[in-house]
Amino acid sequence: MTQHDPALLSAALAGAEQALNQAIALAPHSHQELDSVSGTLLGIEITTLDLNVYIEMVAGTEVRLLAHCERETDAFVRGTLEDFAALATTDDPAATLINSDIALEGSSASLITLQQVIAGMEIDWEAPLVELLGDVAGHQIAEGLRRFFRWGEGARASLKRQVSEYLLEEGRLTPPKAELEHFYDAVQSVAMRVERAQSQVEKLLAKAAARQTPQ
Amino acid sequence: MNDEATSNADRDDDTTDFGFTRVDREAKAGMVRGVFDSVASRYDLMNDLMSGGVHRLWKRYTIELSAARPGQTILDIAGGTGDLAARFSRLVGPEGQVILADINAAMLEVGRDRLIDKGATGNVEVVQADAQALPFKDNSVDCITIAFGLRNVTDKALAFRSMLRVLRPGGRLLVLEFSKPTSAVLGKVYDQYSFQILPAMGRLIAQDADSYRYLAESIRKHPDQETLLGMMEDAGFGECRYHNMTGGIVALHQGFKP
Repeated sequence: MTQHDPALLSAALAGAEQALNQAIALAPHSHQELDSVSGTLLGIEITTLDLNVYIEMVAGTEVRLLAHCERETDAFVRGTLEDFAALATTDDPAATLINSDIALEGSSASLITLQQVIAGMEIDWEAPLVELLGDVAGHQIAEGLRRFFRWGEGARASLKRQVSEYLLEEGRLTPPKAELEHFYDAVQSVAMRVERAQSQVEKLLAKAAARQTPQ
Repeated sequence: MNDEATSNADRDDDTTDFGFTRVDREAKAGMVRGVFDSVASRYDLMNDLMSGGVHRLWKRYTIELSAARPGQTILDIAGGTGDLAARFSRLVGPEGQVILADINAAMLEVGRDRLIDKGATGNVEVVQADAQALPFKDNSVDCITIAFGLRNVTDKALAFRSMLRVLRPGGRLLVLEFSKPTSAVLGKVYDQYSFQILPAMGRLIAQDADSYRYLAESIRKHPDQETLLGMMEDAGFGECRYHNMTGGIVALHQGFKP
């Protein structure tokens, strides 16, 4: 009677929930921030997949992912998979939420707080590694991982900047953002003028038709 | 409708199904007890074997559909080793109550030990009870679950009436049980697995092929999705529906007390 096999969805959610809770357990700095949204229930409808998922913040260190929930949500968002991927990875969730086609019911504050906490989560790899490999080896590997992630983050930012500069300045393949916005404004202005002209023409045609009608 | 429609345990004679064998109605409970006495200590392993571990996902969805919330009273019939009860215990909180009921003392003993190990003690009561004659007050429970237990009940109609009596108006019944695969191909593969592989695994791992063969046979004799839905409606449940899971190998039926 349901379109999706609940067992498949439960499998996906159970895996994601476990990964998320393990990540939270390894990010003690985020516990206090997560505690501030404790008890919050968010509903997500991914229209492209015809899928509903609920995120329940149980306590500062636990998140539940549900396929079915009858409690009233604090916030409910509806959008395509692409919209949600953009929201999850953006640096400015509020702007992305406003500019995307995502429909939001309820409080956006809890959604934005949760996105910021997850995006800013700093996972401490050292604790489980030390437990597994001992103090010296665990610390060395964790330090190596931290350096690798810092380098990866720097490399990603640098690559993004350089690609952007190349496309704009060297290749002239894409227009600058300001130029693009100006173009969009101009298109919008032309569209409005055409609409007004069309309305005037229709009015004139109606008048002419009225005059030609025999009394 | 499967052959259960004609060989249903609730038909008007003195015999009933015990797997593919017809036995005296009075004798079935004792024979089922024998099976579960034999497998009680390895029940979770058996479920993992029978379902490939997927029974955890089926139960997870059952808990979600229960909509259990703090302060509620949940009755888990045929609760076996208490895995549903342990999760309900957290959801209803200290102000709520979970009743783990099973007709089989050996299963309850394992369940009680597991619950203590998991720390689910303050709000859980363990009761040896027959689903056909539940020893609880009328209108006293918010939700009843019975997971992989209904097919072992001799008189399912009587059990449904008993559950309806105990539920509060608006309360819900959730029946999680093996059912009929929706695809013929899956059905054939599943038959091969149930009657060839499963008893062999039972022999190899638990040295108990007969109990595993009974479990496979009892699944085939259990009513299919639509028949069970009709039985719930006949008993007086409202808004009845079901969710097929894993291609109909398992179905989760839901009904409410009007």
